[in-house]
Amino acid sequence: MSKLKAPLSALAGFLVLALPVLRAQSPELPAAPIREKVNTACTECHESRIILQQRLSKGAWTKEVDKMIKWGAVVDAADRDAFIDYLSQNFPPDKAGEVMPRSAGSKRR
Amino acid sequence: MFTRREFLEYSSLAVTTAALGPVLSRAAENVIDIPGKEGMIVRSSRFLDLEMPPEYFNTWITPASHFFVRNHMHEPSTLDADSWQLTISGEVEKPLTLKLADLKKLDSHSVTNTLECAGNGRAFHSPHVPGVQWQKGAVGNAKFTGPRLRDLLQQAGLKPTGKHVMFHGLDEVPGKVPPFIRSIPIEKATDGDTLIATQMNGAALSKHNGFPARALVPGWVGAASCKWITEIKVLEKEFEGNFMKPGYRMPNHPLKPGDPLNVDDSHVVTALQVKSVIAGPTDNWVSKSRSIAVHGTAWAGESDVVKVEVSTDSGATWQPAQLGHEQAKYAWRLWSYKRKAPGSGDFTLMSRATDSQGRVQPLKADWNPSGYLYNGVDQVKIHVQA
Repeated sequence: MSKLKAPLSALAGFLVLALPVLRAQSPELPAAPIREKVNTACTECHESRIILQQRLSKGAWTKEVDKMIKWGAVVDAADRDAFIDYLSQNFPPDKAGEVMPRSAGSKRR
Repeated sequence: MFTRREFLEYSSLAVTTAALGPVLSRAAENVIDIPGKEGMIVRSSRFLDLEMPPEYFNTWITPASHFFVRNHMHEPSTLDADSWQLTISGEVEKPLTLKLADLKKLDSHSVTNTLECAGNGRAFHSPHVPGVQWQKGAVGNAKFTGPRLRDLLQQAGLKPTGKHVMFHGLDEVPGKVPPFIRSIPIEKATDGDTLIATQMNGAALSKHNGFPARALVPGWVGAASCKWITEIKVLEKEFEGNFMKPGYRMPNHPLKPGDPLNVDDSHVVTALQVKSVIAGPTDNWVSKSRSIAVHGTAWAGESDVVKVEVSTDSGATWQPAQLGHEQAKYAWRLWSYKRKAPGSGDFTLMSRATDSQGRVQPLKADWNPSGYLYNGVDQVKIHVQA
């Protein structure tokens, strides 16, 4: 560590200690009329990041939605196609990858 | 306690946060408090899926705080060492119910094993496949300790009709998801290195890594090593369930990318592939010196790594890397390589491993619809300014 950087790091260290524990919320899914229904059906079992990191074709999203319905996701039959459209439009193969957070684990296990 | 690097990372975050008050909530989104797990990439916080970042591939033994976590389900909501039980039933003469204290009375054995999730590297498959988008770090190397599974089976009186051994853990199943139950063949179950591990790196297993006991099936994909194990059942046939079929299967013949899996022409994923990864430099690193020091790890499941080669010219030529002296049957090898860059500019560094079976890490891994066993040559792009 250079001499110049040391005081800055010391100050930053103080700020770290002064900050409350940083806790991340699951990010929101992209806005759309169907978002709340997707949110309710999917995040009952898993958080939104599982969706946000997928980059799938419409065919692959169709398989995923049907698998999740079979595994207990509550999706009204009338909403199935809208779910597939929403997911395939917002998380297509050519979209840039999702940046994931880091854990700031304490020594507790 | 923070390491120096983590201290600097969090210091940097804090400075940014203090200077840009309005972005506090945005900065806060980039750190999640997960007890016992430091600096891990959070692929999902529910179910918990944590990936080790490349910079932690720098030790032969991966500390528990940096060991990856893969959960299909919710972790057990309660885990009590005193009330925990392990049953052994099925094709045995004397079904058993064991407590943790009973396991501790048995002969103990240690195996240093590289445990890798079958889906590690899934994110690198093209076209993309569904699932947790692991990059390099759903893998770690640790010393696991506990009684041999074969001693438990012998105590229960294994019948000759017992051909497969099923494991079931205490993870909690959401919705109508099939339970995470899988089996391994009797030959692997009775191998002297297959354990019911109660310790990792000399300490009790952490909750996220399977406390109080887990199966340890060395050299095989992580899914074989059931966490929070509570039931062992000896079967006449392979267990039939979602996570054996259609899950965790590889095509018998390479598929054209995008083609579906024909489950009748597939096999269960078992042993790991030969594979190396570059731990440093990290991608997009800018060097102010022409000296390039490359290092990483390499593993090969049930085989031994015999060679790691490095290319600094996008794969045109390859030079041998130096293998680390620490080794064990199922454990990864550290490796390192140094050379002087011919000049300034952009360089693509690559690593590839060869194992004792003669398997060579391919430039491009075979595509499969679930993205299992990715082992394509690893590569990192750097820029030399000097």
